[in-house]
Amino acid sequence: MLLVASEMIAYIATIPRPSEQFFQLYLLGATHTASDFYPNQDTNIRPGEPITWYVGATDNMGNTEFVSIIVKVSNATIKAPDDLEALPSPAPAIAEFARFLQDNETWEIPFTWSIPNASLYQGSVHILMLQINNQTYQIPDWSASNGYNFRIILELWTWQTEINAFEYGWIVSGEHRTAWLQLWFNMTNPVPPPPSA
Amino acid sequence: MDIFRQFHYSVESRMMCLGKISIICALAALTLMVTSSTQTGGLQPGFGPAMVAVRQAEEAGATKSELTDLVTLLNEAVQLNNEALKLNAPNQAEKRVALLAQVDQILLTVESQAADLTVMSSHRTYVGKVLDYVWGAIAAVLLTVTYAFVASIREKYQIKRTFQMKVSLR
Repeated sequence: MLLVASEMIAYIATIPRPSEQFFQLYLLGATHTASDFYPNQDTNIRPGEPITWYVGATDNMGNTEFVSIIVKVSNATIKAPDDLEALPSPAPAIAEFARFLQDNETWEIPFTWSIPNASLYQGSVHILMLQINNQTYQIPDWSASNGYNFRIILELWTWQTEINAFEYGWIVSGEHRTAWLQLWFNMTNPVPPPPSA
Repeated sequence: MDIFRQFHYSVESRMMCLGKISIICALAALTLMVTSSTQTGGLQPGFGPAMVAVRQAEEAGATKSELTDLVTLLNEAVQLNNEALKLNAPNQAEKRVALLAQVDQILLTVESQAADLTVMSSHRTYVGKVLDYVWGAIAAVLLTVTYAFVASIREKYQIKRTFQMKVSLR
């Protein structure tokens, strides 16, 4: 009887504890806090104006994961990611940051971005380029009426070994879960500011 | 005549049905293209097997510190892969090929080291499990001996107390 009880304790001690599996995706402002996302708290930015954020992801899946943070630029008419259907935003990917993460590891990247130039045409502001960490990315001709309601979308994708590709979100016990963030901005004045003396 | 008309109608309805199916298929393909939720990000095909090998090592019981070196190598490969993807000019083709070859080499190293780690970790996990059960059995024997010893002392004490009892008359 005692032998059976001891062996049961040994068995319980050797089986791994079930824990909640999830990813965390976060965005911090220039001061490394959940504020100061735009200079002077003004979401109306000017061409060439650098904006500093910190983007981070934490792996709480209990194992090593290959993650990718995909950056998209969109306006108000393009759909945001769909949480119910676990679908990413249909806006095209502009930039991608990939990294292998160990369990409980947090990966944070400084994310300094700007829109080098924009143009005003028939009441709409068009942006064609996005600069992230001194690297210039071409973007589709996104326009917004009077320069209102542009947005940057950050999506978390994970490597799925079954399909040998990155997939939007992650799967836990057959359930598809997602993590994404978006920040809105305006560009009502597409003329770059004059160089300071 | 009626048979001919029926045949004609059935062919027409089949054609319409096929048309509808092809439109549905085209729409489905378009939807998939627009809302595609998978991509490889221009990574070398070796990343898949390397990731599988690392996962196997992890499942076999490799510790976090043992896996750190492999993950560092994998991140180095990602960085080199990204650098290679930026080299698009024709005069950079040679450098691009060299970088991608380096990526493949790193991934092969990771795969091989992960395989070794899998063997070592699974052996260690097995030995650890066996030891856990052995310790369980030893604990059970020790507990039985202790229980028997305590029970015998208690019995002796009870006998002694019985003999020490005094009979008093009222």
